[in-house]
Amino acid sequence: MHVKLSRDLRQDPWFLIGLSLTLLFAGLALLGPPLAPFDPWDISFSPISPPSEMHLLGINDGGQDIFSELLYAIRNTVAFGLLSGFTALVIGVLIGAVSGWFGGFVDAILMRIADIILAIPAIMILILTASLFQPPPYILALILASLMWPTISKAIRAQTLSLRESLHVRAASQMGGGNWHIIRRHLIPEMFPLYLIGFAAKTRMAVFMEASLAFLGLFDPSRKSLGMMIAYALKYYYMEVWWNWLMPPILCLSLIIMGVTFLAISLEKVVDPRLREALVEKTA
Amino acid sequence: MNLEVKNLDVAYGNGGHSIQALEDVNLKIDQGRCLALVGESGSGKTTLGKACLGLLPNNARQRGSILLNGQEIDTNDETALNTIRWKSVSMVFQNGAANLNPAHRIIDQVAEPLIQHGGVNRDEARGRAAKVLEEMGLPEEFLGRYPHQFSGGQVQRVLLAMAMILDPGVLILDEPTSALDALTKGVVSRVIEEGRSRGKAILLITHDLEFAVRSADSMAVLYLGQIMEALPADELFSNPLHPYTLALKRSYPAMNSARDLGGIRGDAFYRTIHQHGHEDETDYLHSHIQVPESSHKDGHAPPSGCLFSERCTQAIEECQKGRVRFEQAGTHTVRCLRRGIVDMLELKGVEKGYNSVTALCPIDLTVKAGEIFSLVGETGSGKTTLAMTAAGITRPDQGSRLFEGRDMDRWIKKDYKSLARRIGVIYQNPAESISHRFSVLETVAEPLTIHRVGLEKGERVDRVKKCLADVHLSTDRAFLERYPHELNMGALQRICLARALVLGPRFLIADEPTSSLDPSVQAKVLKLLLDLQIERGLTMLFVSHDIGLVRKISDRIGVMLQGQMVERGPASSILSQPCHPYTRLLIESVRRAFSLELNRGNNRQHPAGCSFAPRCPERQEICDKQTPQLRDIGHVQVACHFPLNTPLFPFLQ
Repeated sequence: MHVKLSRDLRQDPWFLIGLSLTLLFAGLALLGPPLAPFDPWDISFSPISPPSEMHLLGINDGGQDIFSELLYAIRNTVAFGLLSGFTALVIGVLIGAVSGWFGGFVDAILMRIADIILAIPAIMILILTASLFQPPPYILALILASLMWPTISKAIRAQTLSLRESLHVRAASQMGGGNWHIIRRHLIPEMFPLYLIGFAAKTRMAVFMEASLAFLGLFDPSRKSLGMMIAYALKYYYMEVWWNWLMPPILCLSLIIMGVTFLAISLEKVVDPRLREALVEKTA
Repeated sequence: MNLEVKNLDVAYGNGGHSIQALEDVNLKIDQGRCLALVGESGSGKTTLGKACLGLLPNNARQRGSILLNGQEIDTNDETALNTIRWKSVSMVFQNGAANLNPAHRIIDQVAEPLIQHGGVNRDEARGRAAKVLEEMGLPEEFLGRYPHQFSGGQVQRVLLAMAMILDPGVLILDEPTSALDALTKGVVSRVIEEGRSRGKAILLITHDLEFAVRSADSMAVLYLGQIMEALPADELFSNPLHPYTLALKRSYPAMNSARDLGGIRGDAFYRTIHQHGHEDETDYLHSHIQVPESSHKDGHAPPSGCLFSERCTQAIEECQKGRVRFEQAGTHTVRCLRRGIVDMLELKGVEKGYNSVTALCPIDLTVKAGEIFSLVGETGSGKTTLAMTAAGITRPDQGSRLFEGRDMDRWIKKDYKSLARRIGVIYQNPAESISHRFSVLETVAEPLTIHRVGLEKGERVDRVKKCLADVHLSTDRAFLERYPHELNMGALQRICLARALVLGPRFLIADEPTSSLDPSVQAKVLKLLLDLQIERGLTMLFVSHDIGLVRKISDRIGVMLQGQMVERGPASSILSQPCHPYTRLLIESVRRAFSLELNRGNNRQHPAGCSFAPRCPERQEICDKQTPQLRDIGHVQVACHFPLNTPLFPFLQ
């Protein structure tokens, strides 16, 4: 299975674009700060200078190197998005699968909790928490995750409900397969596309959320972030800085989201053998 | 006259090794009765016949007694024996012409007993011999001929005439029909019939089961010298109780059974017994059952225990241990620790409804170990629901379920896994019952994974490969790695079958398991299932629309109509003489299409009355008012107010 899978993947443009974008930003997030030519907090340069050989994207209003700032910002944004998206996925899948498989009382309780959380606007909570308590960013990411899981678990639960009636799951349970066997071998693999979609959607949402909070100035101002960079750049929109100051963070934000989405789409196709067939025919 | 055999033991040979030909044989034939002794070759049938006449060779050691009219026959007293032979007890030996002297005319040979034992002079004896021979259907011109001028059938008649000439009270017939064509068998039948009406006691030794059933009142099944089952003759085909009797019945090509021939696993030629002093035990008795691959050195069977246990598919550990007593079980007497064939599955009053629809009305179903029970009926008659209830998948609303004598619901709750590995299920829709994310290997190995069988990976793959080979699928690497959507329906169905069989279940529930197979593969798969039945005693509950197929494999059939079982019984009688008009319709519609009129209203729920009434040609007033209950008609149970009694194919009867 795996031999064929990697071959199919290598022929899929979605996967190639998604993977290169994701790898690029993962690389930037990991290696960016050490590569940064200057300390982004160093204010020793002349403010609002256009790009030069030394400062690839110029200098901002505070006299800091925009390129170095961008590299630090990407790390923060990506880390926030991944942490939040992944946590939401784990919570969502567990609650969804348990709720759908066991049903009854467990299901009723878990789904009512999910409904309540769905009714709470995440941005409000985050703005309030950030402004009142100023927690560190990872706490905010976890709070965001705890508000995002219900949509994932609703989808997982619905799928589990239909799967538990499917003949192959009933066959497995007739064979004596326990809850763990069925959840692990039948439910979880069967729902793989859902995780990728859920994960991509939530990561996307978290990246946006981080950018928004930063844009609103709700993080520590010294924490570099794509949102904060956009917010500062916008103050100088009347000057000729949009292409070297405003555009880079916006472009990075868009490309991060695109990369994650493309990767999710292609993986989904490859993981589901029936979609894969269609894919092979198309590319052949 | 009557003949009684009490605790008869016969062993051949002396000292060292002896062959135990008969052990603990008890039987009684009353005046005017015929007892058929059946069993495989080497079971001791002929020895028993000869023992009754004191004809055993010198190396035979005999214990126990043979009583003629309550008087013991002293086998050591030759003069006493001579007064009994021919006059009171006569025997027709097997192997025809070898029993006649080639140098004498037939008429003289037939007259000889009369002269020797009857004290009649030669001319009168000849006259009487000619008369008896004529009764046997041998015309006058044959009488002066010599044995070599006779055909096998004619020799048999001569032997019968010889045996009958002194009008003995006890007649022993050893394989009287083995060389005869069906028409000549009639002569033997007539002799038995007449003998019975004249108050003779007849011991019929034969392996021709159908002839035995037709001629005898009761039957004794002999295996390696022991009587395994004694039963009323007419129940041999419909209700055998001992696993050996069932296996024997399956091996016999009966006229009215379309089922493929079975067999009995393994072999047993004869049993030797020997005694010699051990250091600690002075009288250590060995018993060996001679089979092709074993010599004296290996295969020391325990001195006690059931002789059939090695070949029995329902044997448990205890069967090897204690001596098995010959015990009464209803109208039968069996020598079986488990009191005959056990019930694998027993459903009692099982009911199931889905919302407003009644899928199963209270229904009883018993599936015996080692049999193939087929459920037939039109679509929507509740076959699948019943099968799924039997599999433990569907929970009935009412009623009790027993599997191997244990309460199924409690078993499911307590230790489901151990139940699950005994039941294999094949679902109606193979494509859906396999996860499309599982490769062929993963699919077939799934039960092994669940039950942690073959923990080394290589072992699992080997088991999967063996199972795939059994169902005639490829076992190469590339095939093992393929996914369901790449395979055709026939392959998927066989994968399902392999998955159901990989754990070696005792009970297989198969819902249309061969519906998408082509005839050649279907034939192979069914052959496999029948082989498994012989080798492992696999029990099957088989659901099918295909009457032709059911006919070839079923032991018993249950006919379903709107959640009720309207007829059930041995496959041969249901298929040749259906009692319920609905069954008849089902069978006849295989041969020709029926008009819509007969099919109308087939899914209407009836508040009262017979569900088949709207379509029934035999319908009368009571049919609309009263629901018929299952009742016994012969060996079949039918729920019909006016059961049919004409056979479907009259000529065969």
